Amino acid sequence: MSRPAAPPRRDLRARLVRRVELSADAQLLRFESASPSPALPGQFAMLRLEGGGLLRRPYSYCDLDDSGDPFRFSLLIKEVGVGTRALMRLRDGGTVSCLGPLGTWFEPPSAEETAVVVAGGVGIAPFVLFCRRLAEAGRSGIVLLGGRRRPDLYLREEFERFGMEVRCATEDGSFGQRGYVTELLPEALADATAPRVYSCGPTGMLLRTAELARRAGAPHQVSIERRMGCGMGCCLGCVVWAGRRPGDPPEYLRSCTEGPVFDADAIAWDRDPHPL
Amino acid sequence: MSRAEAPAVDLGVEIAGLHLPTPLIAASGTFGYGDEYAGVADYGAIGAISAKGLYLNPRDGCPPPRIWETPSGMLNAIGLQEVGIERFLAEKLPSVRALGKVLIANICGSSFEEYGELARRLDDAEGVHGIEVNISCPNVSAGGIEFGCDPDMAARATEVVRRGTRLPVIPKLSPSASDIGGMARRVEDAGADAVSLINTIPAMAVDVETRRPRLANTIGGLSGPAVRPVAVRMVWQAARATRLPVIGMGGIAGAEDAIEFLLAGASAVQIGTMNFVDPGVWRRTRSDLEDYCRRHGVARVRDLTGAMEPFPPAPEVRR
Ligand SMILES: Cc1cc2nc3c(=O)[nH]c(=O)nc-3n(C[C@H](O)[C@H](O)[C@H](O)COP(=O)(O)OP(=O)(O)OC[C@H]3O[C@@H](n4cnc5c(N)ncnc54)[C@H](O)[C@@H]3O)c2cc1C
Ligand SMILES: Cc1cc2nc3c(=O)[nH]c(=O)nc-3n(C[C@H](O)[C@H](O)[C@H](O)COP(=O)(O)O)c2cc1C
Ligand code: FES
Repeated sequence: MSRPAAPPRRDLRARLVRRVELSADAQLLRFESASPSPALPGQFAMLRLEGGGLLRRPYSYCDLDDSGDPFRFSLLIKEVGVGTRALMRLRDGGTVSCLGPLGTWFEPPSAEETAVVVAGGVGIAPFVLFCRRLAEAGRSGIVLLGGRRRPDLYLREEFERFGMEVRCATEDGSFGQRGYVTELLPEALADATAPRVYSCGPTGMLLRTAELARRAGAPHQVSIERRMGCGMGCCLGCVVWAGRRPGDPPEYLRSCTEGPVFDADAIAWDRDPHPL
Repeated sequence: MSRAEAPAVDLGVEIAGLHLPTPLIAASGTFGYGDEYAGVADYGAIGAISAKGLYLNPRDGCPPPRIWETPSGMLNAIGLQEVGIERFLAEKLPSVRALGKVLIANICGSSFEEYGELARRLDDAEGVHGIEVNISCPNVSAGGIEFGCDPDMAARATEVVRRGTRLPVIPKLSPSASDIGGMARRVEDAGADAVSLINTIPAMAVDVETRRPRLANTIGGLSGPAVRPVAVRMVWQAARATRLPVIGMGGIAGAEDAIEFLLAGASAVQIGTMNFVDPGVWRRTRSDLEDYCRRHGVARVRDLTGAMEPFPPAPEVRR
């Protein structure tokens, strides 16, 4: 897997063609558009739709099929407010305006490394595409999924289908180990040869993952969620207190442009207030 | 009449000695240093770019959260995070210059000396065509009161910039000024070549669950369609008060909004927040503006400036 260049950004109209209810407040939405937007795992799009608020909202590409025409992609959406609600109530055939792909992406593990994914809640989204690409390259990895209850372990079967070793934790113990997903991490780090950690989810989970990965000496890339105004690097609303590279002095970096995927070591977790 | 045989509309405008191919300008702080929207926005429809606000020295800006959506608008408290004039000239200007656009630098000072110094540094910078003076910044030595609230301070800031440069000087007026017409006259007397307005309106929002302000800075600036009627009123007042060309902005989302500003007295308009929402706003606004001019038999878009008709007097009503 060689290092790709940033794909070109476009603002496309996309049409909702399929909706899968994953839980009471989460859906997988599949869209089609006439021209492709070949996103890399971890990249996101800014969506705009009727009734979904003024500003666009950022969502990770969850999966995509760029093999043919029309181009298809799916988003994993959890309802939290007006924008996500409008998306989840979009009628079949309804359209959205989709600006993407934007931001940085997860670097694939090297030939010696084993991917260890730590994903919580809607943070699971970017890893479907990530694991699809791993599987296409004939690789496997360990995927740790966490959620409050069993229905929150979105798309678990999808990861199994890609041949990943999936381990789960729920806070109420309704599936997998009871507790937080990060409690599964020490063992996964021990089981994997040359583990390389990838994480996306609630801030508490990211913090704990960063701590455990650092202690194990494992490289770790993290995807950060921030309120975004433009997604294009212009409003400076989405900043994270981080260094450009590990070791660089921290400054406010744009999570839409220098992120959302950062090296965990580059983020000054102690000073970054990580609010939304 | 089909499109092909439709008469061409002249969209060009002259402002402060600058010729803009269209009256649409990218608003400062919403279009980066200028090249960020390459490949997404239609740069051909953009008449000029007002670059991100520049301070003399690099600044970290405010801690997040820095933005919050409001009904038909947004609050921002970015705190002018930026690279400083040195790095702007060395690292940003060359790629922005390559766009071949009219570039207006937007400057911000924490003292009169800083405004003067910025003007001198930009004066001979190749590819900078004008200076927009953001006076909605706190004057540190005057206890942090905005230059733009006080006509004396606004006039003096304009004057020091005027003395520092031969480039067109465009003070950007703050909606916090109590008498916007008087303010426009003061900066005119101080040597301004045009004025632009409005900057964001100081505003705030509170999260009732956590009882905290929505922005880390507590107060932010309101922009977007929510401010548009306020902005149109202020542009009208400023245009009546001075002979200077006025650049109007505040919530413009398309041609109809832009024309509203032009009729109220603006010679050109800026688009900010709505570019975030729809980068297609440039192409759409230009083409709808042309259509409007054709429909109304307007050959040159500059003929729309100040062309608002007074409301007809009410008929005598017998009581
Ligand atoms: C790079 C990136 C990728 C994302 N990927 C996904 C995804 O794949 N699926 C998904 O469901 N969500 C994703 N999110 C979060 C999603 O953007 C927010 O849930 C959405 O913007 C909220 O919009 P709303 O109008 O529904 O909520 P609002 O009414 O705007 O806000 C409701 C609540 O959501 C919080 N919120 C607002 N903006 C964000 C934000 N950018 N991130 C997180 N919370 C926010 C607000 O603080 C508030 O508490 C992603 C965010 C980022 C930055
Ligand atoms: C995120 C953001 C950053 C801004 N930064 C600046 C700035 O640096 N300098 C300035 O003069 N105005 C700045 N503005 C104000 C805009 O240029 C404009 O005056 C205002 O937003 C109203 O126009 P709009 O409603 O079209 O956005 C900023 C606005 C926003 C939303
Ligand atoms: S969202 Fe606007 S700069 Fe990142």
